[in-house]
Amino acid sequence: MSSPKILIVDDDPDLRQALKLRLRANHYDTVHAVDGYSAIALAYKEHPNLIILDLGLPAGNGFVVLDRLQADDKLSSIPVIVLTARDAQSSEQRALEAGAAAFFQKPADNAELLSVIRATLPKATATALPS
Amino acid sequence: MNDPSTHVLMIEDNPGDADLVRLRLVESKAPVDVSCVDRLADGLAFLAMQPPAVVLLDLNLPDSQGAETFRKVLEKAPDVPIIILSGQDDEGLAVRALHQGVQDYLVKGTFTSAGLDRAMRYAVERQALLRSLEMSRKQQLEFKNQFLSHVSHELRTPLTCIHQFVTILLDGLAGEVSAEQRDHLATILKSVNQLGAMVRDLLEASRVEAGKIRVEPHCVSIGDLIRLAVAMTRAAAHQKQVGLEIGVDTRIPFVHGDPDRILEVLINLIDNSIKFTPSGGAVTVQACLAPTDPDFVYVSVADTGCGIDPKAKALIFERLYQDPNSIDNSRKGLGLGLFITKELVTLHGGRIWVASEPGHGSTFSFTLPLYSLGKLLFPVISKDGALREAIVLVKVNLKARSNPPRGNWKEAGRRSLELLQRCVYLDKDVVLPPMTTSRPEQTFLVVASTDLTRAEIMMSRIRGQLEKLPDLKASCELEVSACAVPLPDLAAGPSLEEQVQEVASRVTEMARSALGMERNSTQENEEPAGDPA
Repeated sequence: MSSPKILIVDDDPDLRQALKLRLRANHYDTVHAVDGYSAIALAYKEHPNLIILDLGLPAGNGFVVLDRLQADDKLSSIPVIVLTARDAQSSEQRALEAGAAAFFQKPADNAELLSVIRATLPKATATALPS
Repeated sequence: MNDPSTHVLMIEDNPGDADLVRLRLVESKAPVDVSCVDRLADGLAFLAMQPPAVVLLDLNLPDSQGAETFRKVLEKAPDVPIIILSGQDDEGLAVRALHQGVQDYLVKGTFTSAGLDRAMRYAVERQALLRSLEMSRKQQLEFKNQFLSHVSHELRTPLTCIHQFVTILLDGLAGEVSAEQRDHLATILKSVNQLGAMVRDLLEASRVEAGKIRVEPHCVSIGDLIRLAVAMTRAAAHQKQVGLEIGVDTRIPFVHGDPDRILEVLINLIDNSIKFTPSGGAVTVQACLAPTDPDFVYVSVADTGCGIDPKAKALIFERLYQDPNSIDNSRKGLGLGLFITKELVTLHGGRIWVASEPGHGSTFSFTLPLYSLGKLLFPVISKDGALREAIVLVKVNLKARSNPPRGNWKEAGRRSLELLQRCVYLDKDVVLPPMTTSRPEQTFLVVASTDLTRAEIMMSRIRGQLEKLPDLKASCELEVSACAVPLPDLAAGPSLEEQVQEVASRVTEMARSALGMERNSTQENEEPAGDPA
């Protein structure tokens, strides 16, 4: 099996680039979406093992993306880690209720983010495999 | 008054006085519509149904006397202007009434019809002015908080970007870095982290000010929290070559507090001490009990730093206070850390203070309430000086279907607890503060003043509510059970306090077995449901 594939959804190009460098250095494959709409489209097309999702997005914010993912049988098993500049107090609970597996506020500690990615992935890779 | 439909409510029990006021109002030719009631209770009911433009209030009524009368009306209708019409010319009472929000105080028999009309018109105007001032104050506060929240959000994005790329460079992901470059990058990272902490403090302080901080009391071990806080600040101490020591009295029972907030307080104080202590110094975190104050634990963070100027001691917990003699004078911070810390301690019902001598270090101390089951149960399981007839312990168990639990387990617990609180009667049931746990199982206990038959109703309500939680049903198994708490034998004639204490220790015993804890726990302070002493 090749490296786990992670979909990065963020509208800030610099942050996408930074996250890509960080994840690739840790042997993850990455694909990128810049808005809510293309996030869903890419999730269908690429079937990532995990999604890292910003909340403040054009064309369907992070909550819309979470709802769409949850509502789709093919996508609902993909774990989502929310990584946002929004305030934890106002958004964390809502994101977790909407189905996110974890919530990080920017700037997130790299080591912590990577360890949560590792902890969340195995289940995902198992379910993403064809039976 | 100008408005043709000005509606006046007169609360007056003397028909003669009431008629006189009516006469004055007719004379003034102001188009008013007067409703008159002769008891306060009727007046309050009237206010609840159709608030009038103004209230004319006599103070001595059959069902209420003096200051109590206007206090009750103010409480019921804070937005309706009140004019007191009193038989007594009591200047002291009049001033007190005005201070509490009454618009005017007229002495019966001394006012003319024109005077009464004018008093009423001005009372209405003043009240409207007051209301609009209050509204604009609220709007401004709301605007300020929104602004701060917006600013800190916008600051975070570029901050994250810098943080990310600096760490990428530092970690060598973009090629090799020389020792000198590494030093420079580490300096950038340090500054970025400082900036990040300031943004966090800014938001936190605005939240504290707006009263938006919630404290969710648990039953927590202060020793564990201190060890965690010290572990989290060890790196900073090490970097500055400041020693970091712990001294915790193992006999300390559980504390009644919000573990996340207490941790925040500890980290704030420890960070602060490290900041003001030169290399080679030490910071010591201690917790102990004070025989003179048995309901609280005393926690202190002592350093061997530069100390605090006596004049500054009173100001140090104020918002925006910055130490003018800070070692790192160029980096003062926002002056919000100790303000937030004080507010968090106060929200817990504790106190915070500092003892210091310039040149000989400072000791910050704060208190937190100890968890006492007896105290928590007393108002709930006793009524009219006696114990309730039947008491039941309801156990709600959530067992995660997977280990480690999926999703945010802590959050699921928090939400369940919130729902549980809504399933009980506040005057006769109590949800016990949960134990903090990382196990894939969470147990909540409710002490209810009811018998087993009626407890069934509560239990089905709990099941119904919890099953409505999204995700919870999928991720956990829910189990709700109840058992009766044996009540103490009254033959020996124990006092109510002793009876409650007896029930508390039985509940503790039952809670211990419900939580699957060993009876002979290794440490005194590992008790699950509180301090029976």
